[in-house]
Amino acid sequence: MPPKKTNQRPQRVVQSAKPAAARKPAAKRSREEDREESTYAGETLLNGKLAPEEDDEDDEDFEIDTGSSNGDLEDFLDREALDSPADDEEDEGDDDEGYNTSDIEAMEDASDDEGDLDDTSSVASSSVAPSTVPDSNLTLDQLIARHTYKPDENMDIHVSAATGGRPLVGDEKSGKFSSAKEGTGRLVPSKFVKGGMTREYEDIEAGYGSESSTEENTNTIGNVPIEWYDDLPHIGYDVNGRKIMRPAKGDELDKFLATVEDPDSWQVALHITRLPELTFSDKLLQQQVQLSDRELDIIRRLQNAENPDADYDPYQSTIEWFTGKGNEMTMPLSAAPEPKRRFVPSKWEHKKVMKIVRAIREGRIVPNKPAVEKPKVYGIWSNDDVENPPHAMYMPAPQIPPPKTVESYNPPEEYLFDEEERREWEQQEKEDRKVDFMPQKHDALRRVPGYEHFVQERFERCLDLYLAPRTRKVKLNIDPESLVPKLPSPKELRPFPTNCAVQYRHPANSRVRCVSVDARGEWVASGSEDGIVRVWDLGNGREVWRWNLKGGPVQAVEWSPNKEECILSAAVAGRIYLLAPLALISPHVAQATLTHLNTAFSSSSASTSNTAGKPQVPDAKWVRPSEDERDRGMMVIVEVQGTPKQLTWHRKGDYFASVAVDASNKSVLIHQLSKHQTQSPFKRTKGAVQRVAFHPHKPHFFVATQRYVRLYDLVGQQLIKTLMTGLKWISSLDVHPLGDNLIVGSYDKKLCWFDLDLSTKPYKTLRYHTKALRAVAYHRAYPLFASASDDGSIQIFHGTVYSDLMQNPLIVPLKVLRGHQITDGLGVLDLRWHPTKPWLISSGADGEVRLWSS
Amino acid sequence: MAKIKRRGESGAAKNYITRTQALKKLQISLSDFRRLCILKGIYPREPTNKKKANKGSSAPASFYYSKDILYLLHEPLLQKFREHKTFAKKLARALGRGEWALAAGLEERKPLARLDHLVKERYPTFKQALQDLNDPLSLLCLFERLPRDPVPGKTQVPPEITAECGKLVAEWKVWAIRTHALRKVFLSIKGVYYECEVPAGRSGETVNVRWLEPWEFKQTVPADVDFRILLTFLDLYRTLTSFVLFKLYTDENLVYPPQLDVKLDEAGQGVGKFKLVERAPEVEAAPAETKDGKRITKKDVKKSIKSIAHAGTAEGMEVDEEVPEVKEEQDEEFVYHPSKNDEEAADPANAPPTPRLPDYTLFSPYTFYLSRETSSRTWEFVIRAFGGKVVTADSIATLDPTVASQITHILLDRPMEPAVMRKLQGDHKWTWVQPQWVADCANLRRLLPAGEGSGYEPGGTLPPHVSPWDGEGVNDRPWLGVEARAAATAEDEESGDEEMAVDGSEVLDTPAMRAAAENPADSTLVHQAELEAEASGVDHAAFKKHLAQLSKSRAEGPADTKKNKKPAAAAAAAAAAEEDQRKIMMTGKKQRLYEKMQYSNNERRQEADKLESKRQAIEKRKKKEGKK
Repeated sequence: MPPKKTNQRPQRVVQSAKPAAARKPAAKRSREEDREESTYAGETLLNGKLAPEEDDEDDEDFEIDTGSSNGDLEDFLDREALDSPADDEEDEGDDDEGYNTSDIEAMEDASDDEGDLDDTSSVASSSVAPSTVPDSNLTLDQLIARHTYKPDENMDIHVSAATGGRPLVGDEKSGKFSSAKEGTGRLVPSKFVKGGMTREYEDIEAGYGSESSTEENTNTIGNVPIEWYDDLPHIGYDVNGRKIMRPAKGDELDKFLATVEDPDSWQVALHITRLPELTFSDKLLQQQVQLSDRELDIIRRLQNAENPDADYDPYQSTIEWFTGKGNEMTMPLSAAPEPKRRFVPSKWEHKKVMKIVRAIREGRIVPNKPAVEKPKVYGIWSNDDVENPPHAMYMPAPQIPPPKTVESYNPPEEYLFDEEERREWEQQEKEDRKVDFMPQKHDALRRVPGYEHFVQERFERCLDLYLAPRTRKVKLNIDPESLVPKLPSPKELRPFPTNCAVQYRHPANSRVRCVSVDARGEWVASGSEDGIVRVWDLGNGREVWRWNLKGGPVQAVEWSPNKEECILSAAVAGRIYLLAPLALISPHVAQATLTHLNTAFSSSSASTSNTAGKPQVPDAKWVRPSEDERDRGMMVIVEVQGTPKQLTWHRKGDYFASVAVDASNKSVLIHQLSKHQTQSPFKRTKGAVQRVAFHPHKPHFFVATQRYVRLYDLVGQQLIKTLMTGLKWISSLDVHPLGDNLIVGSYDKKLCWFDLDLSTKPYKTLRYHTKALRAVAYHRAYPLFASASDDGSIQIFHGTVYSDLMQNPLIVPLKVLRGHQITDGLGVLDLRWHPTKPWLISSGADGEVRLWSS
Repeated sequence: MAKIKRRGESGAAKNYITRTQALKKLQISLSDFRRLCILKGIYPREPTNKKKANKGSSAPASFYYSKDILYLLHEPLLQKFREHKTFAKKLARALGRGEWALAAGLEERKPLARLDHLVKERYPTFKQALQDLNDPLSLLCLFERLPRDPVPGKTQVPPEITAECGKLVAEWKVWAIRTHALRKVFLSIKGVYYECEVPAGRSGETVNVRWLEPWEFKQTVPADVDFRILLTFLDLYRTLTSFVLFKLYTDENLVYPPQLDVKLDEAGQGVGKFKLVERAPEVEAAPAETKDGKRITKKDVKKSIKSIAHAGTAEGMEVDEEVPEVKEEQDEEFVYHPSKNDEEAADPANAPPTPRLPDYTLFSPYTFYLSRETSSRTWEFVIRAFGGKVVTADSIATLDPTVASQITHILLDRPMEPAVMRKLQGDHKWTWVQPQWVADCANLRRLLPAGEGSGYEPGGTLPPHVSPWDGEGVNDRPWLGVEARAAATAEDEESGDEEMAVDGSEVLDTPAMRAAAENPADSTLVHQAELEAEASGVDHAAFKKHLAQLSKSRAEGPADTKKNKKPAAAAAAAAAAEEDQRKIMMTGKKQRLYEKMQYSNNERRQEADKLESKRQAIEKRKKKEGKK
C-alpha cells in the first residue's frame, strides 16, 4: 500500500503544477541531475538542500499539508483528479464525492503513528518516514524533480507564514517549514469523509513582517465610529463573523495603579499620544496595546526616515559577479580587424604640417612673433571732423555749474551761515539743500582741511552720468515782461471814472440792491432793502423823493429810457410799481408821463387784463392805485407772480420786461405800458432765467439762463442763437449799444465778452475779480464798460468795437474803483453808467450809492 | 482707408525699451550692461508719458532709447566681453587642472578691450571732447592720490592705474604751463578749481575746461562707493584724456608722451619731471616717438637707479637747480633754469601757434620761492602757467646765494615775525606773500599790492577770496545755449538796422538798463540789461554805448535823482498798478508762466538782498568794534 500511495500522490501534484509536456523528460532524470538543476531556482533550492537530509516523504507531507490548509487548492486538486481518469479509478473506489489528499494523509498519519496524537512528536514521524520508503528512491527522485515547478501559491503561504515573508536563512532552512509533518495539529473527524479524520491546527501566530501581521486587526466592523457599540456587550466581529466581546475594563483607579506599577506604562502613553494612527486598532479592540521594544525601534526608524528593518545594511559591499579579478574577459567583443588608420600616420596631417613648415622656412610665418600693437594713442581728430547732425534724442549731460564764492575757503563773512541758517541747513534733507556743504572761513590756506565728501560727490556725479534718466526741458529764457500784452496806456483812453464824487447815504445802512439813472441824467433812483425807493439829486446827493412800497426789499428800479417821459419802474415781491416824481419834473414831461401811464385805464379799464388776441397772462393784473397814492406819484401797479428780480426797458419806453426767477414758466414777462398788457413770450423756458435784455435796435431779445445766453427773434418768434458762455452761473448781462457785442458776468468770478458776429463762444473770458460778479454794464455813449463784484471793487474797462468786421474789439483794463465796504460778504451790488457823461453810479451792500466821476 | 494704427507699434512704445528688456535683448549680465552704458555713454531717458512707453504698465522702470540698445548689439566691445568670459573660463579650467603652461599661454593671448573707437564715436570733434573734459580731469585728479584699497576688503585700485592718472594730470599741467592756458584759479573748501582755455581747432574757437583738484589729504571713502563703477569711468576717462593730450601736444609740435625724467620724478618733482621734445619737422611723429620711448625705458631707469644709489648724501640739495644744466640744449625745460631766459624769450616766435596776451604771463619777471608748507603741486603749476619761475628748498636759510638773489617773491603760509623775515631776507628785495595772493592776482590778471597792510603778508588777515565764476550761468546746458544763440541771431537778422536806429534808445530805456547804469560794476545787473536789450533786438555795440551814456549821466546828476525821488516813487507805484491792469488780459497759461518767472526772480533777488543786508550788518558791527 505505501508504494502505491506514494506513487499516486506525487503524480497528482505534478499534474497540477506542470504542463504535460514537461513531465516525461523530468521523470527520466536521475536524482543527481535534479539536484544540479535545483540550484537555479530559489524555491527549488530548498528542496534540493532538503533532499539529502530528509526523506522524500518530507515533500509529500509538504504537499499534503498545503492541501489541508487551503480549501481552494483542495477544489483545484479535485478538478485535477477528474482530469486524470487513469489515476482516479482507484480513488473513486474510496469515495465518490471525491476526497482530497489531506484526508488521505490524515488517514496515513493516523495509521502510521496512532500513538502520537499529541502535537509534540514531529521528530518521531520524520524518523519513521525514511524507513517506510527506502526502496522507492528512484520514483521519489523523479517526483522531486517534478516538484521544482510546483505552483507557487502553496509555497508562498507557508513561507510567509513561517518566516514572515523573508527569504529563508539560517535555522529556518533546517527544514522546519511546517509543523504538519510533526503532527502538531489536532485530529478531528473529517466533515467530508465519513469516519475520516482531519488535522486541525492552531492559528498561526504571525510574526512581524508577515502579511497578516499588518492585518492583525481582527475587528471587521470597518471604519465606523466605535461609539456605536457603546451600548452593546461586544465591540465588533472577527473575520469569522463571531462577536468580539468587550474586554474587561478597569476603572480609573485601576488605570492609575497600572501606571504606577507598570514601568512600561509610558509606552502605552506614548502609543496614545505620539502615534495616534496606531490607536485606531486599539479603539476597535477597546484595549491598550503595549508596544514592544522592537516596535518602538521600528517607529523610531520610521521617524528618522530610515529603513524600518534593523538588519538592513544600506552599504553592502558589492559582489563582483562579472568584473574584478578572475573575471577578465579573454575574448574580444568584435572580431573586426584593426583598421589601417590606427597605425598609419595621416597623410593629410602630414601635408598640413609640411605646409606650415615650408611657410616657416620661407619666412612667411614667424613663430612666436609678438603681435603688432596699435599705438596706444594716435591722432583721432583732424580738422575736418564734423559733428553729428543734431538729433532730438541726443541729450548730453549737463555740466556741473562753476563754484560760487560761497564755496571759497575764505569767503566774505556774509556768506557764512548764521545760527538760523545753520539749523535750517542741518534739518534739511540732503537733496533739498541749496548748497551741499556748510560755508566755512579759514584765515589761512594751511588751515583748510580735506573735504570729506569729495569721493562721494565724484561717485554721485558718475552715477548721475550713467543712471539718471535724462529728458529735454525747454527753459524759457525770456523776460517775463514780454508775456504781458502790449496795450495802450490808460492815460490815452481818458475820460473814465477815477474817483468817487458823490455818496448817497441810506439810513441804517440798508443794502441798496438796485440803482438807476434817469434818461436825462438828473436823478438817481435807488431801491434798498427797507422797501423804500429813493430819488436823489445826481449832482449834490440830496434825497428828493421817496416811495415806501412796503413790499419787502426793493429788487429792481429802472428809469424809462424815454427822455420825454419820466417813469420809474420798481419791483418788490409780487408787484411792479410804475412811479413818477411829478413834482420834480417839468410840466410838459409830467403831462406826457401821465398820458402814457393812464391812457389804457381810460380806454378800457374794466377789461385790461384780457382784451388782445395775443397770449395774455391772467395773473398779471394792472391796478390803478388810490387817489392818494397817485398824488404821491405811484401811478400804476402791476401784480405779477413771484418776485421780479430784474426790470429792463425797451429803448422806446413803451415795453418793459421783468424776470421773476421763482415764477416757473411765467418768469419772463413783457409788459406794454400804453395798453396795460402783459404777455409771456415763452411757454416754457429751458433752465432758470437769470437776466433778459432787449436788443438795442432790432426786435431781438436776450435771455440768460444759468449757463447759456439765448437770442430770440420776437417778431419771428424763434431762437436765433445760443451762446455758450462756459460759465457756471450767470449773474448779469449787458448788450453793447451797437448790438453786436455782449458782456456776461458770472458768480464764478468771470466776465465773458461775446462778439455775436464772431462765434457763439466768448471772444475773451477775463478773470480778475476775487469774488462773484454782481453787475456788468456798457456805457451808452463812451467805449467803456464796468463790472461790479462782491470783492467791493469796480473794474473799469475800455472796450472799443470797430466797425471793421475783421478787427477784434479792443479791451483795455483801465481802473479799479474801490470804496464800497464789504458787508456780510457782499460788496457792490449794482452799477449804472450816466447816460451822457463818463460817470458811474454804483450801489453797495454797505448802504451807499456812489457816483464815480473822472 | 487709412492704415489701422496698432497699439505699441509706434511712438513712445517703440522708442523706449526698459532695462530688463535691454538685458534680455543683449543677453548680457547687469554688470556688463553697466560697463557698456558707461563706456558707450548710454543713459536712461525720461519719456514724456511713462505709461505709453511701458506698453500700458505703470510699474517703475528705467527706459532706454531703443536705438541705443540696437546699436549696442553689434558693439565690438560686447564681443570682447564675451571673449573675455570664455577666456576666464578657460583660464580657470587650466588653473584648476594644474596645466600651468596652458594657463600661461592663455594669459598671453588674453583679449584686451581697447576704447579708442569709443572716443572717436562719442566725441566726433575735438571740441566736443574738450567740452566733456571737466569730469575726466576731476576724476583723474582724485585717483592720482587714492590708496590701493580705498575701501578695505573691496575692489582694489591697481597702482598702475593710480600712476597713470598722476601721469596724465601732470602731462595736462605741463601742456597748460607751456601754452599759458590757465585762466582761473579758485581755492575752495573742496579743493582747487582751475580753468584752462583750450583751443578747439584751427578756427580759433576755445573751450574752457574746468577741473577740481582735491586738497592733498587722505580721502575719506564711504563704504558704499562702488569702485567698479568708478574704475570703469576711469578707463574711459584715461583713454579720452590721453587722446586729447596727444592732440594738444601734437598741435604744439611736441612729442607725446613726453619723456619722464626719472631722477626728477624720484626727487618728488611735480610737473617739472617731464622733458618736452619738439617733433622733428620732416620725420614722421610715430617713429621718433617709439625711439624716444625705447630710449627711456631701460637704460634710463638703470642709470637713474644708480644715480640715486650714489646720491644718498644729496637729499637736502636742490635737484631742480642742478639737473637742468645736464639737459640737452634743444629740450624745452620748464624746471627753473635761470640761464635760459633768453632762449625762452626766443621760443614763442616759432612754437606757439596762437599769440598769447601778456596777461597770461603775469608773473614772467618774477621768481617765487615756495616755502615748505605751501603745496608745490598747486603753486608751482599756477605760477609757471602764468609765466613765473619757481624755486623750492627745505628752508630759506640754506638757499644758494645766487638763487636767493634772483628770488622776488616768497610764498609763505605761516605767520613769521617781521624781524625773522628781515633777518632771512638780508639785503635781498623780497616780497613776502601768502598763497592766496597768487590766486587773486591770476584771476584779476594784475599784480595786487602785497605789502604790509594789504593782508597778503604772512600772518596777515587775508581779504576774502572770491570765486572768479560769480555771475556766470547757474546750469550750463549746451543744447540750450545753442538754441538761445540761434534764436538770438535769427532775431538779429530779422530786425533791420534802420529800425534799430530809430527806436533803439527807446527800447533801451528799460528798468534793468537803468539799474545797470546806476551800478555798472554789478555784472549781474549789466548781464540782465544786456539780455533784455538783446531780446528787444538791439545789438551789443549799441547797448554798450547806451549803457555808458546812461551811467555817465547818472554819475553827473545824483542830486537830481534824489530830488525826484518822491514823484518817481509815485510814478513807479502807478506804473506797477498799470502793469497789474494789463495782466488781466493775459491768458491763463501765460499768467501762470509769468507767475513762475516772477517767483524765481524774486527768490534770486531775495537771496541777493539777504546777502547784502547781512553784509551791511557785519560792516556796522565791525565799525562799532573799531570805534571801541
